Amino acid sequence: MSDYILELNNITKNFPGVKALDNANFKLKKKSIHALLGENGAGKSTLIKIITGVYNQNEGKLFLNNQEKSFSSPNEAMNAGISVVHQERNLIRRFSVGENLMLTNLPKNNLGLIDYNTVAKESKKWLDIMELDIDPNTIVSDLTVAKMQLCEIAKALSLESKILLLDEPTSSLSPQDTKNLFALLKRLVAEQDVSIVFVSHKLEEVFEICDEVTVLRDGKNACESEQITNLNRQKLVKLMIGRDEQIIKSKKDIDFTDENLLDLQSINTDLGHKNINLNLKKGEILGLYGLVGAGRTELIKCVLGLDKINSGQILLNNKEIKIKSPKDALEKYKIGYISEDRKKEGLILMHDVLSNAGITVWSNLKKILSFLNDRIVYNKVDPYVKQLEVKTPSYQQIVSNLSGGNQQKISVAKWLASGTDILFIDEPTVGIDIKTKSYLHELIIELSLKGTSIILITSDMPEMISLADRIITMKDFKVVGETINNHSYEEMSSSIMRNIHE
Amino acid sequence: MNNKIPNFVKTNQFGLLILVIVFICIFSFSTDGFTSRFNIYALSRVVALDIMIGLAMMVVILTGGLNLSLGALGVSAAMFGGWCMESMGIPISLTIILVLAFGSFLGWINGFVTVRTGVHSFIVTLATMSIYFGFMTLLTEAEAFRKLPEAFTDFGSLKLFNKYISPLLIISVLTCFVLYYIFKYTDIGRKLIAAGANPDAAELSGISVDRMFIYCHMLSGFLAALAGIMLTARIGAAIPSMAGHLGFDWLLPAFLAPVLGGTLLSGGKVTVFGTMLGAILVTLINNGLYLIDVGEFWVRFFLGIILLGAVLLDRAREYFTVKNSIVS
Repeated sequence: MSDYILELNNITKNFPGVKALDNANFKLKKKSIHALLGENGAGKSTLIKIITGVYNQNEGKLFLNNQEKSFSSPNEAMNAGISVVHQERNLIRRFSVGENLMLTNLPKNNLGLIDYNTVAKESKKWLDIMELDIDPNTIVSDLTVAKMQLCEIAKALSLESKILLLDEPTSSLSPQDTKNLFALLKRLVAEQDVSIVFVSHKLEEVFEICDEVTVLRDGKNACESEQITNLNRQKLVKLMIGRDEQIIKSKKDIDFTDENLLDLQSINTDLGHKNINLNLKKGEILGLYGLVGAGRTELIKCVLGLDKINSGQILLNNKEIKIKSPKDALEKYKIGYISEDRKKEGLILMHDVLSNAGITVWSNLKKILSFLNDRIVYNKVDPYVKQLEVKTPSYQQIVSNLSGGNQQKISVAKWLASGTDILFIDEPTVGIDIKTKSYLHELIIELSLKGTSIILITSDMPEMISLADRIITMKDFKVVGETINNHSYEEMSSSIMRNIHE
Repeated sequence: MNNKIPNFVKTNQFGLLILVIVFICIFSFSTDGFTSRFNIYALSRVVALDIMIGLAMMVVILTGGLNLSLGALGVSAAMFGGWCMESMGIPISLTIILVLAFGSFLGWINGFVTVRTGVHSFIVTLATMSIYFGFMTLLTEAEAFRKLPEAFTDFGSLKLFNKYISPLLIISVLTCFVLYYIFKYTDIGRKLIAAGANPDAAELSGISVDRMFIYCHMLSGFLAALAGIMLTARIGAAIPSMAGHLGFDWLLPAFLAPVLGGTLLSGGKVTVFGTMLGAILVTLINNGLYLIDVGEFWVRFFLGIILLGAVLLDRAREYFTVKNSIVS
């Protein structure tokens, strides 16, 4: 089977309490572009980390050019010709392009000092292969995002990589940049004998560029090296989520002529938001869609008083308010924020379930002289923890020992307990299993039906179209479009993408 | 499997308690006079101070920070108290209140500057240590206050419980109970711990983290000032050099007690009674080694080794996650 440059057979990887990969197979043909798909938590990133030597598998074998290999470090994988281009840039921003490209093997002159002429010459060679018109002496931070991405690919090539793993390479690229990138990838495959593993959530791109597809679901293969020509969008989604794509329609009629509950008027912020106008009705789920870096989370943080609003005003029930801090938002205006980053901002991982679920209500529950015991907190939060079906052995369990889905439920539970009127919900289902995900979707709809007004940030288009009543599109810290959601995937997604790309 | 073993046995404090008992046994057998009434009384006077200093450091370590100005702050507060009583003739009770307020104020400066500049409290308190001590030396012209009211100095040499225990120790133990209560049973205590454990998450959950950090520094100043008063009562005078140059003599016990006790250096976990046991252990070793007559330098050497060991222990604790409760 010399067809395959990389072959992973029956890979199993266990983490404490979770089987991240269960007998998974992955075969990469020489000179092909292979899509690796799956929902968050399906095992994609674990598989990539095994390929790149970050993890070792518990069972199964890895063959490179038909030779069994086992990498004990990312460095070994890199030396064997496997490079990853991450979503986050791995370039050193204050170094020049040339220095970054040659970083692992900087040429030296007779005195042992760096020979900058050779650096420029050598790196120019790789930039030329990619037909990139960049001066090797340019400082990386002066490049556009798209150029940085391309430099990273150049860096991978300079390491004589034969296998490139691209992790969501287009998430921050414009359509034109994406097109250029794809043309380049096709050329690399044809001319440089490179094989590519392509990870993306954008199925349109998979159909455009990939030859074969492997889908993971719950750590197992939902399909293995399927020809792209045998698939269509519906089939692919079904493989990924295990059932047909459901668009839950929230059965409610928002009267968009109602008074605004929350109204942002011509907001300009320190972070660069320009003239943001948006409003939220009572009981509405307002979606904020945009690419990574569109400034959605940042906008919410400015509203919460964490960063400065330079001009414009915020109205609550038509009265101007000034929110100085999240404490202010919670205690004075009953506004809460469920963070996208539950590990860093949502939860206190080293503390137990009870103190995490109760943190927002301590102030309200305290008795005379600030007295507060576990019983009082427990009585308050228990109904919400039960309602969300959090699976934990006890309230004394340290949160970091729980699964991602249960952690997320706790970071939601604490805001339910706080009884806020307005909730900002940021990427509520990143990295959690499908069951919890649909559970949270139902919960968000239920909340809004009971009168909580919600601003929902999500980069998951189906999620957005299932849940939102109205969708605001943001790009480059500006609002670029507003659409009333009719819950039809095709119509809404093309209308949103049009907003973004015009 | 091991649920027959009571939880207490698995805690850090239990290990400390065993160590304390082991050292008591060793020193009782290997030295003369360790168990004498005189020595136990002397020990109780020293340990009282070490506990208080340890607690003062603990409440700042809770924030993931440090308070290097602890000694300088405590001595400055003590000198202020001496001046109040000797030069101004202010009554003892009012003086104590003023001194504690003064200590809290100096702590507030530490906290305020730390929070506002975003500079690590290590640097901030390194600077204020010098400032407080320098200012104090300037104002007092390095002169001691030796003519303190008798009622005050008598308290420091009072002997209770068949003349075995100093009342200073009772103050320290009571302080432990009060702090335990605050951290375990009050809204504000919970918020202090949450802010220390994960400032970002606490802030987004509606806790004013800056204010909590300032409270921690104020509490530290308060406890250091209390330690200063206690030391003044013990010596019978307020002396600028009573905690060494820049208050350095306090720093080693200040770190040792909470770190041995199980307070995480990265913040977010306090152990009030662990700190108490830690302080007792340090005092015991100190005292025992002197009685064995190994010499001043060896004592310092051993305490340094213990601190390093305790820090390694702290690392290990972070690895094997904190399974104990947050307050203990």
